[in-house]
Amino acid sequence: MATATEQQILTLTQWVSPAFPVGSYAYSHGLEWMVESGQVSDSASLSGWLSDILEVGSGRADILFLAAAYRVMTPDELLEVDALCRAFAGSAERLKETELQGQAFSRAIADIWDPGMPTLAYPVAVGWAARQADLPLDLTARMFLHAVMSNLVSAAMRLVPLGQTDGQGVIHTFTPICSEIAAASVASDLSTLSSSAILADIAAMKHETQYSRIFRT
Amino acid sequence: MLGVRRSCGRTAIGALRQAGSSKLLFPRQDGPEKDAVLINTAGGVTSGDMFEFDGRAEAQTHLTLTTQAAERAYKANGPEPARIRSRLHVAAGATVHWLPQETILFNGCCVDRQLLVQVEPGATLLLAETLVFGRHAMGETLASATFRDRIEIRQGRTPVFVDAFSLAGDVAAQVNRRFGLAGSGATTVLALFGPKAEAALSALRDALPETAGASLVRDDLLVARILAPDSFVLRKTLVPILNTLTDNRLPRPWMI
Repeated sequence: MATATEQQILTLTQWVSPAFPVGSYAYSHGLEWMVESGQVSDSASLSGWLSDILEVGSGRADILFLAAAYRVMTPDELLEVDALCRAFAGSAERLKETELQGQAFSRAIADIWDPGMPTLAYPVAVGWAARQADLPLDLTARMFLHAVMSNLVSAAMRLVPLGQTDGQGVIHTFTPICSEIAAASVASDLSTLSSSAILADIAAMKHETQYSRIFRT
Repeated sequence: MLGVRRSCGRTAIGALRQAGSSKLLFPRQDGPEKDAVLINTAGGVTSGDMFEFDGRAEAQTHLTLTTQAAERAYKANGPEPARIRSRLHVAAGATVHWLPQETILFNGCCVDRQLLVQVEPGATLLLAETLVFGRHAMGETLASATFRDRIEIRQGRTPVFVDAFSLAGDVAAQVNRRFGLAGSGATTVLALFGPKAEAALSALRDALPETAGASLVRDDLLVARILAPDSFVLRKTLVPILNTLTDNRLPRPWMI
């Protein structure tokens, strides 16, 4: 792996920053239901939920999509990866999450970096934009997954609620875990696509009918 | 291989080819629909097996496919997985119900399974696949298995629904993941594609237990997932749901 330049690191930092106009703070990925139903109530249960999502659920899958988008050889292939990512979403709010964040990310990239940027599902958009900007895949995947994880912890801090120190402690614990998952997924491909985070998927479905909610998903 | 076509207002067999230990049975029935029961005369699958099924429903036909008994994925006695490849084509105005009984994963099984359904605009597809993790009646918990499963619904070349599931390595730990399979003994994924998807959502939600969810992913696609402690409890939930979604036309092997 080539060493990333300072310019590349800073570009990625900007793309995955909560200040980037993607609106990630509005999506809890079903966590709001997990908290409502009492299944996530502290740092320990949050960590269990995070590791299942990241290791055998959408975290790992999203890196497979990101890496596949980075590696496509033709525009048709890019559209295939994008369609697969949307079809894999599995519930209305999961689809909304990947489509709306993808739309916002794609628009920002088109406005500032690359006018030719198409509108893609979120991880597909990040993978494709990184390739066009000649950013290293491995670092892109690590920083993307870290940002996804941090965003979910931040949602947990508001929902559980969890103190600042507890939240930062969870992020610190999961930083090397995200790096490992990202590296392993980048070394793999879409033929290994899989999810067994079924209860987390069910929570995302149940969130649709949750009576009182502050998150979009 | 089975093809059905419309003939004199009924669904009639247009093509039929059987080979090896895969057989098809057609329970005698009245009415315009056709039921077909898939039978594995070997009683299960093991390493090196290759099972293929092709089903085609031409325009304005109604085909229900099920299995005679639960499929058993036996302990593998070699490195090669059992391969199961099912392909369905549902033409415009046709309805296919793909409702096999559960697949039971035995300790040490090795299976690679794919179901690919091509749907034309205006087609209706109902599918439900149930997995059982180990032989609970014998006190078995699943500790080792290599299982890869992929279900795809496609319109032309565009995937509409993709479900990919796998088990490998420390399977007991994977099944026990609290927010994954949550220690369940059985799980079902159900998908209803077509014009009736939206109208079916509310009744489906009402029929689901606590550890299950349903979502209208798109106007023409309804998806549900169920987790249950074992296959008996799961059936108690699933049979009424399938009865509703099939207008009480669940084929006979399901009634036993």
